[in-house]
Amino acid sequence: MRATFILAFVWCAHVSCAQVPRLGGHPDLTGVWQGGSATPGNWEEANGGTGVGGTGRNPNASAVLSSNDRPAGREGAPYQDWAAKKVLESYNRRGIDDPTAQCLPAGVPRTVTLGLFPQQFIQTPTQIVMLYEYMHVFRVIPFNAKHPDDLIPSYMGNPVGQWEGETLVVDSIGFNDKTWLAGTGTFHSEALHTVERFTRISKDRIDYEIVMEDPKVLTKPWKLTSSLMRREGTRLEEYICAENNLDPGRYEKLLKDGVKFTR
Amino acid sequence: MRVLFLVALLHHSFGAEYDVKQPITLTGTVTAIEWTNPHTHFYLDVKDASGKVVSWKFEGYNPSVLQRTGWKRNMTMKVGDVITVFGWRARDGGNWAHSREITLPDGRKMFFGPPAGTGDGGSRPAVEVK
Repeated sequence: MRATFILAFVWCAHVSCAQVPRLGGHPDLTGVWQGGSATPGNWEEANGGTGVGGTGRNPNASAVLSSNDRPAGREGAPYQDWAAKKVLESYNRRGIDDPTAQCLPAGVPRTVTLGLFPQQFIQTPTQIVMLYEYMHVFRVIPFNAKHPDDLIPSYMGNPVGQWEGETLVVDSIGFNDKTWLAGTGTFHSEALHTVERFTRISKDRIDYEIVMEDPKVLTKPWKLTSSLMRREGTRLEEYICAENNLDPGRYEKLLKDGVKFTR
Repeated sequence: MRVLFLVALLHHSFGAEYDVKQPITLTGTVTAIEWTNPHTHFYLDVKDASGKVVSWKFEGYNPSVLQRTGWKRNMTMKVGDVITVFGWRARDGGNWAHSREITLPDGRKMFFGPPAGTGDGGSRPAVEVK
């Protein structure tokens, strides 16, 4: 207990964590968050002026990065040569084969880093529950637990959590191979292993880091960082993607018509 | 170099269905609005050069995204309103398009859909290919 207190004290001396709520000796991540953002304020303040995904009042201005885009300055994803060619094929098709266009879950980390929809964390002393409006997926993450040995491959994987100082570390395996990681066509295999680190550095912000390992597809671990911003007053709403999804029919017609996806 | 990964996410790729090289601005009368997931749609009666009325279909954000950025269903934009919409035409050349900015009858301008290029992979692929 004393060691934890000292560690927290030292850490807090370096960041503005004085107002970070605590639960059972750890930071409490409970709240509604917007991924892929560093802008403070409530949802409308942070997004209303530009429209979600927009960069300014000019309607013709380009989009902020989407989870399908590669940010400037980021090195190429470390795919094995054969796999990189497959990623490029998806890019050249403008992501027409994006699993989310079929209303399938976006997986990890896309679901966490997307900014269009809110996510809600509910933390107790023994677990944290992460609810995502987008595609109605959730993660129940027990603390200090082991992965079961009879995992069925799943879209969001099997997560377990533990605290390392002020950081929640979420280790996940048991993924299926039906999601993209971070960028158009960034597929993976069922061997995917992710380690995510959630650090609430202030009342309003969580710093997020993920390291992805997949020896069947990648040449080395792939690390990305992002942040989540607290959105007070925002509630998760219903999102039934299959209600009126016109994309599969349109895509089928485009391909049948021999569309050229030139940039 | 530390690169923060700050992103939006559209349900689907803009570039797969719409053509950024075909921006369009139309004024007409709203005939129907569908508040459905994963996208909303509205229909606009527009007079062409010969005076003939043509129905156009526009796609937008999903309902919860619109609501969180200030749109109120059946209040902000209603059937019968005369509005102007800016967006981009579909690749197949039909009378439908991706909507971005709407000018409401009282002159207010609001975004109904995301910017061009959202979700279609950006200017560089995620990988370097040798």
